Amino acid sequence: MIGIDRRIIFLLIGFATLLPLLKPFGLPIKVSPEVRAVYEYIEALPERSVFLLSFDFDPSSKPELEPQATALLRHAFRKNLRVIGMTHWLTGTGLADGVFSKVAAEMGKERGKDYVFLGWAPGTGALIISMGQDLYKAFPSDYSKNPTRGMPVLVGVRTLRDVNYLVSLAAGGAGIEMWYVFGKDKYRFEMGGGSTGVIAPGLYPFLRSGQINGLIGGLQGAAEYETLIRQKGTATAGMDAQSATHFVIIILVLLCNVFYFLLRDQKGRSA
Amino acid sequence: MIFFKRQLPLAITFVMGAAFAFQYYVPHPASEEAITHVADWMKIITGFALILGIASLFHVHAVKVKRQVPGWGYSFVLYAAMLVTIVVGFLSKGETKIDGTQTGFGWLYDYTMVPLQGTMFSILAFFIASAAYRAFRARSREASVLLAAAVVVMMGRVPLGQFLVPWTWDVTQWLLNVLNSAVRRAILIGVSMGAVALSLKIILGIERSYLGGGRDQ
Amino acid sequence: MPEQLIPTGTFLGAWVAAGLTLFIYSFLYTDNPLFKLGEHLYVGVSVGYSVVVVWYTVFIRLVGEEIKKGNFEPIIPVFIGLLILTRFIPKIAWLSRIAFAFVVGFGSGVAIPRTVSALILKQIEDTVNPLFTLGEGGLSLGWDLALPQSGVNTVILLVGVVSVLFYFFYSIEHAGPAKVAARTGIYFLMIAFGAAFGYTVMSRMSLLIGRFADLIMFSGAEYGYATLVLLGVIIVTLALWEIAIRRREGHSPPE
Repeated sequence: MIGIDRRIIFLLIGFATLLPLLKPFGLPIKVSPEVRAVYEYIEALPERSVFLLSFDFDPSSKPELEPQATALLRHAFRKNLRVIGMTHWLTGTGLADGVFSKVAAEMGKERGKDYVFLGWAPGTGALIISMGQDLYKAFPSDYSKNPTRGMPVLVGVRTLRDVNYLVSLAAGGAGIEMWYVFGKDKYRFEMGGGSTGVIAPGLYPFLRSGQINGLIGGLQGAAEYETLIRQKGTATAGMDAQSATHFVIIILVLLCNVFYFLLRDQKGRSA
Repeated sequence: MIFFKRQLPLAITFVMGAAFAFQYYVPHPASEEAITHVADWMKIITGFALILGIASLFHVHAVKVKRQVPGWGYSFVLYAAMLVTIVVGFLSKGETKIDGTQTGFGWLYDYTMVPLQGTMFSILAFFIASAAYRAFRARSREASVLLAAAVVVMMGRVPLGQFLVPWTWDVTQWLLNVLNSAVRRAILIGVSMGAVALSLKIILGIERSYLGGGRDQ
Repeated sequence: MPEQLIPTGTFLGAWVAAGLTLFIYSFLYTDNPLFKLGEHLYVGVSVGYSVVVVWYTVFIRLVGEEIKKGNFEPIIPVFIGLLILTRFIPKIAWLSRIAFAFVVGFGSGVAIPRTVSALILKQIEDTVNPLFTLGEGGLSLGWDLALPQSGVNTVILLVGVVSVLFYFFYSIEHAGPAKVAARTGIYFLMIAFGAAFGYTVMSRMSLLIGRFADLIMFSGAEYGYATLVLLGVIIVTLALWEIAIRRREGHSPPE
């Protein structure tokens, strides 16, 4: 049984993912304190506060981080915050602009007046320092090639010190850690984080020390945020499939160990 | 000549490194101006460095096509895809949307790049399941601890697990916030100290592997 | 064929996206030409996209438009960037060292104080929190495990950080009390790796859920049942390919 063809396992995972998507069972989602912290900070921001959302991911992390971005943008637009978007990941630019356009259209928000998507610029750490010194030098124009200086949404915003809250949605190195080290450490804005499940455990030291005030981890985190803003989306829809696949993996791991111990006992008796 | 090939680069590294390490502690406007300008320059220089990476990829596959190694046809497909994307990109002036309408470049991005990149990484889900079944065995006490923690976290982070075994939620929160944080913090401190040591070695000219390119005479 | 209710570009795009997704998933059966095609297309499109974005962002927006405005400062980084490109010309490749020295020197310099402040000092500061709190009844050690900042959790955190750091310290032999510290570190590490595994599973499954959700959407009538039709085509193609392989080689293809 241990030597079973792995394609059977692939089929099991495939069905465990597909069936709950076709027939969801809809269990309640519990909200963790770290996700609630991000929500409550945004909820407490006055209207027209400056919220910077950094889309530090590319299409490979879209299923986890796009729902987080969508939920955060819906919340920010509902609170009438001024939203600045940007990305450190070259291949994520089109994705980020797509999310912005879609949610802004849904919430009736105007580019240039309520939000701006600055796009991508190279440099990661150097870019953050550049934004911290002079935002208009870092991004002389936005993604749609409109000059940033004089834009209504950026009135009173000259550097990162003028940002009220920053959330970095990160899929790897150029993300939360970099924003803290090169950004918050010197320019003293408050920041939270959203991340893929792979890097989430590594961000808990920052959460504990208060370097980030909250953390939205993976698809589960996105589903929790959707619960808080009371607007279900793709994350909530995916949680049943998430539950099913986790249980399949747990059963596979337990079976593997049962067979391992049985085999070991058999070998021991025959020796 | 050897001065320009060896000593000058090391001197530049030292001056740049020392200057911008101290800049952090100097709030004088001249110091802030210096870092503002140089940080801006770095953005443009990084763009040239990206060209280097792209050109290397060109070269690797050009060699495959030239020598007609087995599978060279796929390298040809790679070139064709690259060329088509570049041409469409320039025709669209680098925009994925113009006045709300999707361009050809945007179409290529949404319907080829996004699904391809997403699928390449999602395929790992199948392999992680297969690997877990074949290799995740409680061979020792340490492995048993790892297994137990993994099972508790996998249950505690999904609604079904929270519903069937409610205590897994609380235990998962505690594991992540206390035990996991302790380990990650120790690793972070250790790695950061190593990074600082490496940076110092680079600035002082002890570590020179980053220079590469050309031979000393 | 059902009446098309969505734009042609989107309809065509759905077929292309579903097809490419299934090409990549065909690897789960075995390595095959469809997967290789998808893989090389992915690299080609990604590189092409990067070239276009870098051109318009760096050379047009950050350099060209600034020079048009009368700001000639970008000429300095352009010159340094051109030095990097001399790496392709063996006779003058040594010039690229000057550029790398500039970039690496700056990077190393800015990293030191920021890393020390943000990743070392701040982390140590949070590790040595007060154990006791002064309340109405005097000093008390918080016993609430559910509260990350409680006294008992602070002790566990401190023990964890020190024992893990000690485990990686190989300059003294791990014997006697040192062995106890190192063994404690190992158990902490195993718990963290278990949590990491759990989260990695969650992350990878999420990616799969995302792709399957798209495939389900593209299997609808408005997209011309793209997923289902293409799945059938790919299964037939792989079956024919495998028959051809078996006839040629006379044995099963490798898994």
